[in-house]
Amino acid sequence: MTLTGEALQPSEFAVTAARAVADCADLSLREQAKHLANDGLLGVIAAHDVGGLDLPLAFAVPVVAAAGSGLLGFPLMEALLLGRALQESQPRTAEAVVSGEMLATIAWQGSVSAAREGESVVLDGWVARAACAREADYLLVRIGTSGAALVSTNSNGIVVEDATGLDLTVPEHAVHLESVTISAANILPENSWNVLCSDANVLRAAAILGSAETCLTLAQEHASTRRQFGRALSYNQAIRHALARQKLGLEGIRHAITRSVGDEAGALQRDAAFLAAGVYGSAISEGALQIHGGMGFTWDVPVHRHLRRVRALQAQGDASGVLAALGRRYVGAIAPASDVTASR
Amino acid sequence: MREIDMTVIETEPPAATATGDLSGEAYRVAMRRWLRANLPASFRSDSAAFSPPTLPQSIAWEAAMYRAGLAGIIWPQAYGGHGRTLREHLIANQEIGALAMPESVNSIGKELAGPIILAVGTEEQKRRFLPAILEMRDIWCQGFSEPEAGSDLAGLRTRATRSGDTWRINGQKIWTSGAYRAQRCLVLARTGPLEDRHRGLAMFAVRLDAKGVRVRPIKSIDGRESFCEVFFDDVEVLQSDALGAPDEGWAAAIRVLEIERATNRMYRAWRFENELRHLISACKADPTLAQLVAERHYEVRLGEIVVDIEVLKAHVETAVDALVNGDRIGARGSLAKLHWSEAHQRFAALALELLAQASLPLHPAVQVARRRFEAIYLQARAETIYAGTTEIQLGIIADRILQLSKGK
Repeated sequence: MTLTGEALQPSEFAVTAARAVADCADLSLREQAKHLANDGLLGVIAAHDVGGLDLPLAFAVPVVAAAGSGLLGFPLMEALLLGRALQESQPRTAEAVVSGEMLATIAWQGSVSAAREGESVVLDGWVARAACAREADYLLVRIGTSGAALVSTNSNGIVVEDATGLDLTVPEHAVHLESVTISAANILPENSWNVLCSDANVLRAAAILGSAETCLTLAQEHASTRRQFGRALSYNQAIRHALARQKLGLEGIRHAITRSVGDEAGALQRDAAFLAAGVYGSAISEGALQIHGGMGFTWDVPVHRHLRRVRALQAQGDASGVLAALGRRYVGAIAPASDVTASR
Repeated sequence: MREIDMTVIETEPPAATATGDLSGEAYRVAMRRWLRANLPASFRSDSAAFSPPTLPQSIAWEAAMYRAGLAGIIWPQAYGGHGRTLREHLIANQEIGALAMPESVNSIGKELAGPIILAVGTEEQKRRFLPAILEMRDIWCQGFSEPEAGSDLAGLRTRATRSGDTWRINGQKIWTSGAYRAQRCLVLARTGPLEDRHRGLAMFAVRLDAKGVRVRPIKSIDGRESFCEVFFDDVEVLQSDALGAPDEGWAAAIRVLEIERATNRMYRAWRFENELRHLISACKADPTLAQLVAERHYEVRLGEIVVDIEVLKAHVETAVDALVNGDRIGARGSLAKLHWSEAHQRFAALALELLAQASLPLHPAVQVARRRFEAIYLQARAETIYAGTTEIQLGIIADRILQLSKGK
């Protein structure tokens, strides 16, 4: 794992982040932004010039994992990524995001059309899976198949729909843009969007890791304390083996993330971390619900909130499409066998 | 020592280790070059020229690999090792895995007996046994399992009794892979009463040509006679062949086995990748299969195998990082073992499913792939059984990693 000159370790951020997330429990979205910013958590990967810490992505992993574990109701991943994505083209906006003055989010699904009119660009279309978009000041939307646009949510022609979807913690909104005019300076190039999406996959895996870890802890506690037939549930091999499988999945996510932020990691390692997190994270949270029995199906036991979050993150990152694309790229890169020797 | 025709394998000089000063990428390149220049086509199961190597060929090849710096990588130079780092061991294994190479006929010697001897052996034992393993003069097999003690080694009944400087061993071992070709067996035997369970166990390096040893091969589902029963009838073993003190030796061995479970056959993930690339290249040579692997259904399913392999690499690489940082590896080897054994079975089943849909007449590349993957499919069924079954690994994870209560 990459270290900074000061030999700071990513894991050192976990404790601070967990405490900050717990403190945010009863705060409004804007109060949370200020609180997280005061702890330096919104600018972990943003440049010093915009108030950030300028650390590698690996340092954002424990922060986002803590948010997942503590069910933080804030678009943290989006703030982290936008603080860095905007730091050069729009440093003042980036600074406002990093300092918690402004709320910014990203619509991960859908795209808009863009028509150039002089120094302005007019956007039209539908986007969705924008976390906390109703309260956000800015929204990043994908343009067709090239680049993205930062839009003020106060612009004329923007309608944020009511939240839909499974996730109760970080509600996702669809947004309709009808002839929304923005400055051409608010367009991010294709490369910035690609980096953002690639990093988002690692951070989604981190959020899922946090949720999955909490679910497994809850399941373990329940299995150790709940008694049936005169013994703790954990006495039963079926329960022990189910929990052991969940642990295998959890460590698979953790190691895949570690590998995805290593010096030699590329798109394959990042996609693999996200995909593994989706599969194992779902199994762990569903498994935890099952271990809790009837209690697991109640509103009060938080397992369902994690399950909802894991499934929402999996869909937000288009796990199914990413998996097919990964398979396609892998198959496409291999030449047909000759008659003599097949693989090299 | 068996007589070996070392001219069976003629190799280029081991340039990489002649100076021993290569590191990092230069080391990788040197290992890669040597392997690709020297691995005979007939040893490669992804080649039409493939023909399973004979025992003398395997011995000669592995001895050549050792001389090239590809065995005993992290063992001390005083005992014939190359004295390199664990990271270099990983690099070499990545290169070994990348080629369709036969499995070692002496993996028990190199990955089980050797590390145990390094941990608990006397200086004399280290100098006597370790170079012989690396030079392939001694092939070892593992005598742990018994008819009444498979997963539960505490139920061992093979008994060792001491009289002066001599031990007498009586009992029976089973599932002893490669005993028919081995010179030495790492025997775990009981020195105290059966009620002592894990206490009173001792390890011995028993010569298989000793009087009273009888080996009977067992035919396995792949048609091979690779594993055996081994009977010990009043077999004399000198104290100089006892490994570690009773009790202490076994406790130390358990610690070695923890590390071994996490690091043995470290090339596995890269070999699975070699298998996957072979499968896809064979499919792309056949018109029907080429079309199938381009469909979303198989893109997704092959993508799942890629993710399985990437996760396995992550398990291995983070275990190496942990060991390099001096962390205790504990029971985490069970996690990797559970993952790779099940992932390989999923992959092998997918390979069979795909190859069964090939066009007729079979393309030669598909014939080669079928032969390889049918063998892999059958052999993979053993992978969730040997080295601790899946159920045992789950139990270890529950007991030792999660520390789940078993109490009332």
